[in-house]
Amino acid sequence: MGYFSDGMNKALDLLLHMDDATFSAIEATLTSTSCALIIAMILGLPLGFMLGYTTFPGKKFLRLVSDTLLAFPTVLIGLIVYVFITYRGPLGQFGLLFTLPGMVIGQCILALPIIVSWTAQAVENLDGRCRQTLLTLGASPVQVALHTIREIRYDLGMVCVTAFGRVVTEVGVAMMLGGNIRYSTRTMTTAISLETSKGEFAQGIALGIVLLLIAFLVNTLLAWFRRRGRS
Amino acid sequence: MSILFEAHHLCRSYGNITALNLPFFSMEKGETVALTGRNGSGKSTLLRLLAFLEKPTSGTLHYAGNMEDPRREITLLLQEPYLMKAPVFWNVTLGLRLRGAGMAEQRKGYIESMLAVGFSDPELMAGRGPGELSGGERQRIALASRLILSPSVLLLDEPTSNVDEASEKAILNVIRSLSARGVSIVCATHDRDIPPALGAREIAIVNAKP
Repeated sequence: MGYFSDGMNKALDLLLHMDDATFSAIEATLTSTSCALIIAMILGLPLGFMLGYTTFPGKKFLRLVSDTLLAFPTVLIGLIVYVFITYRGPLGQFGLLFTLPGMVIGQCILALPIIVSWTAQAVENLDGRCRQTLLTLGASPVQVALHTIREIRYDLGMVCVTAFGRVVTEVGVAMMLGGNIRYSTRTMTTAISLETSKGEFAQGIALGIVLLLIAFLVNTLLAWFRRRGRS
Repeated sequence: MSILFEAHHLCRSYGNITALNLPFFSMEKGETVALTGRNGSGKSTLLRLLAFLEKPTSGTLHYAGNMEDPRREITLLLQEPYLMKAPVFWNVTLGLRLRGAGMAEQRKGYIESMLAVGFSDPELMAGRGPGELSGGERQRIALASRLILSPSVLLLDEPTSNVDEASEKAILNVIRSLSARGVSIVCATHDRDIPPALGAREIAIVNAKP
């Protein structure tokens, strides 16, 4: 186990001395994940709300599709987006392959079903008396919709934090669309994967520690949203 | 007095289930009516129809008030009131805010309605969340959120069920005081003592199958 303790010591050294390669991977991860999440929230929150709040023909089918996409393997998302943005693909002219924007597209597609499905679920799970109460207080249809959003705000926070957790820890999309290029598209997860395959544990452990810290933060936020939602 | 509500052959079904089948119902403006009947007889359904939250499956319901926007005049207190995930002040003044009232009007309305339902220190309650309230307090706060709107028709679904004796007394006092001020009241109840206590005309609802 000597190599593990050696790796641990070196990992702490890398973090304390702000190692360039390590912090570049952290920066790439947080940049791509944040951009992907913001875009997915802009698209997914209104879509999910409409899906949960309104009734229209084909709604059940759309819910089924959205729920099925929750289990979309990340490598399959990577493959599909790869086909589109590769130099011979329909979007090849934009030069997105092996760039952060290319990764953002894939990660956005990964986060979108989580945000859409779980937002719809949050709206559907809201107590039916909430709508009745608003109506009995004289709310207009728009006011009912706005107050419904307000009422599920903590659930929406949980949805976004969960989507962030899923995207920040994925490997497939980042590896296939980012290409794991050092100081550019190498993320924490792809760096851990590469360094481990090389038998270099130090950077992998250092990044693992940061990932665990992020996971801890994400779970702390989730617990806070859950507690606020209940009270 | 003039007729406020008049209904003929009022029927409300949910799929194959008939929740309400009422041949005739009428009440006058300023009257207090107590709806009695067994569980499932359709008392709550009738209240939802009178509140214009639902439409009858068949039959006619005539309302003599503002038919353009009846929910500005009629308000319903649900059997198990729902409080928003927000402090008491926010919940009580929600209806006023929906009508565009300013903060001064909200504050004044809050104090008056909370005192009316028996809270001696409304300021103390203002910041408390729904999770910090007892069943009786929730019921009285929900009632305060209706009183603040000065409704001309107040519909109450079992307002004294699941509350302690003090809360029941406070709620009945509020209903009597509103009734004295000419507010039309319909109160669904299981409690045989409530109709005489309110001086209400009792209407027994029997869900006769069509």
